[in-house]
Amino acid sequence: MKILVLNSGSSSVKFQIIETDLERMNAHQDLTLAVGLVEKIGLSDSRLVLEVPERKTFQDYREILEHRTAIEWVLRILTDREHGILSSVEEIGAVGHRVVHGGEDFASSVLITPEVVEKIEACSVLAPLHNPPNLRGYYAALAAMPDVPHLAVFDTAFHQTMPAHAFLYGIPFQLYKKHHLRKYGFHGTSHRYVTFRGCQILGWRREDTRLISVHLGNGCSLAAVDHAKSIDTSMGFTPLEGLIMGTRSGDMDPAIVPWLMAMEEMTLHQVNTMLNKHSGLYGVSGVSSDMREILAARAAGNQRADVAFRMFCYRVKKYIAAYAAAMGGVDAVFFTGGIGQKSVEVRDWALSGLEFMGVELDRERNAAATDGEAEITTDGSRVRVLVVPTNEEKTIARDVVRVLNGIMPVFTPPEVVT
Amino acid sequence: MSWELHRVTIVGGGMMGRSLATKVAQEGINVYLKEVSSEAVEAGKSELDSALEREIERFGLTKAEKRAIQSRITWVTHFDCASDSDLALEAVQEDFGLKRQILRELDRRMPPDHPIVINTSTLSITELAAQNTRPDRIVGMHFLYPVTTTRVVEVVRGQLTTDEVYGRAIEFARLLGKVPIKVFEMPGFVTTRVVLPLINEAIHVVMEGVADAAEVDLALKLGYDFKSGPLEWADRTGLDRVLNWLQHLYQESGEPRFRPCPLLKRLVRAGLLGAKTGRGFFSYDEGRHRTDRLPDDRPRMA
Repeated sequence: MKILVLNSGSSSVKFQIIETDLERMNAHQDLTLAVGLVEKIGLSDSRLVLEVPERKTFQDYREILEHRTAIEWVLRILTDREHGILSSVEEIGAVGHRVVHGGEDFASSVLITPEVVEKIEACSVLAPLHNPPNLRGYYAALAAMPDVPHLAVFDTAFHQTMPAHAFLYGIPFQLYKKHHLRKYGFHGTSHRYVTFRGCQILGWRREDTRLISVHLGNGCSLAAVDHAKSIDTSMGFTPLEGLIMGTRSGDMDPAIVPWLMAMEEMTLHQVNTMLNKHSGLYGVSGVSSDMREILAARAAGNQRADVAFRMFCYRVKKYIAAYAAAMGGVDAVFFTGGIGQKSVEVRDWALSGLEFMGVELDRERNAAATDGEAEITTDGSRVRVLVVPTNEEKTIARDVVRVLNGIMPVFTPPEVVT
Repeated sequence: MSWELHRVTIVGGGMMGRSLATKVAQEGINVYLKEVSSEAVEAGKSELDSALEREIERFGLTKAEKRAIQSRITWVTHFDCASDSDLALEAVQEDFGLKRQILRELDRRMPPDHPIVINTSTLSITELAAQNTRPDRIVGMHFLYPVTTTRVVEVVRGQLTTDEVYGRAIEFARLLGKVPIKVFEMPGFVTTRVVLPLINEAIHVVMEGVADAAEVDLALKLGYDFKSGPLEWADRTGLDRVLNWLQHLYQESGEPRFRPCPLLKRLVRAGLLGAKTGRGFFSYDEGRHRTDRLPDDRPRMA
C-alpha cells in the first residue's frame, strides 16, 4: 500500500510516499518512493521540493498562503505526468500524520476520529506551537482525501511506559493533577525506530535488552529503553529539558527564570524565547547553532565554540551513565540524528571515559562512521555502540499498517498515581 | 464568499504603523506599509530595522524571525495596494482631516465588504465614516503602546458599523493575540478616558510641589502595581500626544477634569516631549532607557 506521511509545521509541510505492508515491514523492504516539502507557507515565494530516487530534484515556487493549498499543490505534483510518481490520488491508501503531543490521552498510534481530533486539540495547551499546525495539516489532507483512513502518530506515545518516579517533577503533586505538568518526552517515534532497527542489526530481541537511544539533531534527547519499554527520557514537559541543543538550554536551575525576569525585567515571551532560541550551542558559542560550524570554529581556536562543544558532549555522557544506572546496566547504545550520525568528534567525546561501564570505543571504526549504519565499539566491548540513522517517516508508515491490521502495540503506563 | 485575512494594508509607517506591521507579519500575514514618499520609506525601514535589532538583544526575537518579518512587509508609496487587501488600517497621527482623506483613498479602492480600520483614541468613527460610499464597513480600533506587548485593543463600533465588519475586526484583534474590549463610540473610549485624568492629576501634583516627579511615579507604580508610573508612561507615549488628547477630550466633553495642566503645556512648548526627545518628566538615553531611575525603583526578587 502507498502511504502518504505528513509532518505539518507552522510554515512548512514535509511529506513522503512510502510503499509498505506487513510483508515488506518484516523483510525491512519498505520503499520510499518520494520525499519532499513545501516551505515558507504564508509567503509569496513558497517553495516545493520533490526528490524521487534516481531522478533530478524537482523544485517549484509559488504563493502558498495556507496548508490546504500547500497539500493540494503536493498532490498535484505527485500526480503530475512529468514530475510525479502517482497516476492518481486514489493510489494513496492511507495518510499518516505526525502529531507532536498526545499528552496522557494517547499511548499508541490511532485512527483519527472526531473524538481523537477533540483530544488532540485539548493537548494543544501543552504544545501550542506544534499541535495546531499538525491539525491544520490533517484538516487540509482530509479535505483533499476524504475517503482514505487518516492516522495520528504521536511523538510522546512511546514514552507513556515511563513509571511515575521517572515522569513526575518534584513540585507539588496537585499541579500535576491540575495542569498535567509532568515529563512526556519527545522524539518517541525516532527512539522506537532506532532501538528496533539497532536490535535487528545485532540480531537481538529488543525484549531481552537494556538500550540507550541518543538522538542528536536540531533537538536532542536520549531514551532509556528497558526490555522494549521507554523507562526514562531526557526531554520533559516541553522539548526544552535535558541535553544542550542547537538553540535550547536544556537542564538548568529553574530559579534562573524568575531571577532574570526580575533583574532584567524580561517579559514571559522574552525569557521563553531566550531559553528556546537564543541558548544552547548558539548562545554559549556566539558562533552558530550548527554543530559543523561549532567544530570548524573550535578547530580554528575559538574558545567559546570549544567550551560549547565540551558542554554538549559532557551532558550526553552524564545522561548515558545515568540511564545505564537506571536500568542496572546497558547492552547497547545507539546514536542517531544529524549530529549523532555524522559527528565523529561528538561521539568520541561523549563516550570516552565510559570504559568503566564497559564501553570500548574503536576510534578507527568511529572515524569511518559518517553516514549509514555502523558499529563503532571494539569487538570485545561489553557495551556495543552503533550508529543507526533514524527514519521517523518509515515508522509512521509502518504504524499506519499496524493500526489498520490491528497489531499496533499500546505503550501502556505501568501505574496511575492519584 | 468567505472572507479570509491574507493581506493587510497599513497606512503610515510611524512607530504605531511599524509596530502593527511587525505584529501582523509575525502572525504570518503579508503587509503593505504605505508611506508618503520614498524618503519616508527609507527612514521607516531603518527605524524598523533598529527596533527589531533591539528586540533581538532582549532575546524576544531571532535573526531568522527578523528576516521573516521584513520579508512579509512591503513598503509602498501609493494607495493602489489597497485593492488586493483584505483589511486596511490607518496609523497616522490623530488628525481628523488627514484620516478622512486616507479613508476616501482606501474606500475607493477596496472591495466593498473589506473592513477599513481607523486607529484612533479620541476621534469620532461615525463622523469620519460619514462621507464614504460604505460607512458601514468602517470600524475603529484603539491600539495601546507598546503595540507589540500590550495585550489589549479597544474595538470601536461606529453608528453604522455592521455586525459582520465588527466581527471581522474582533477576529483581526484575536489573530494579533490581543484581547478585544468591545466599546461604543465615545471620546476616549475606556482606556484613554480613564488614564488621562490620572496623568493630568499626577502632573498637577508635581506642579504644586507636593512631591517630585520620580516619587509620584514610584508611589503609583509600587502602590498600585503599575508596570510604569503615569508620568513615565506619558513620557513614553509623547507629551505632545498626551496634550493633544486632553485638549480634544476637553473640547468634546467640556468637562474640566480634562483641562490640560499648565505644566504639561509648558514642557511641550519647551520641546521636552518625553522619551523620543530624551527629556520629558525624566531623562532617557538613545535606546529610550531611563537614565535617572531612583535606587528604590529597581526590580527585586522579594
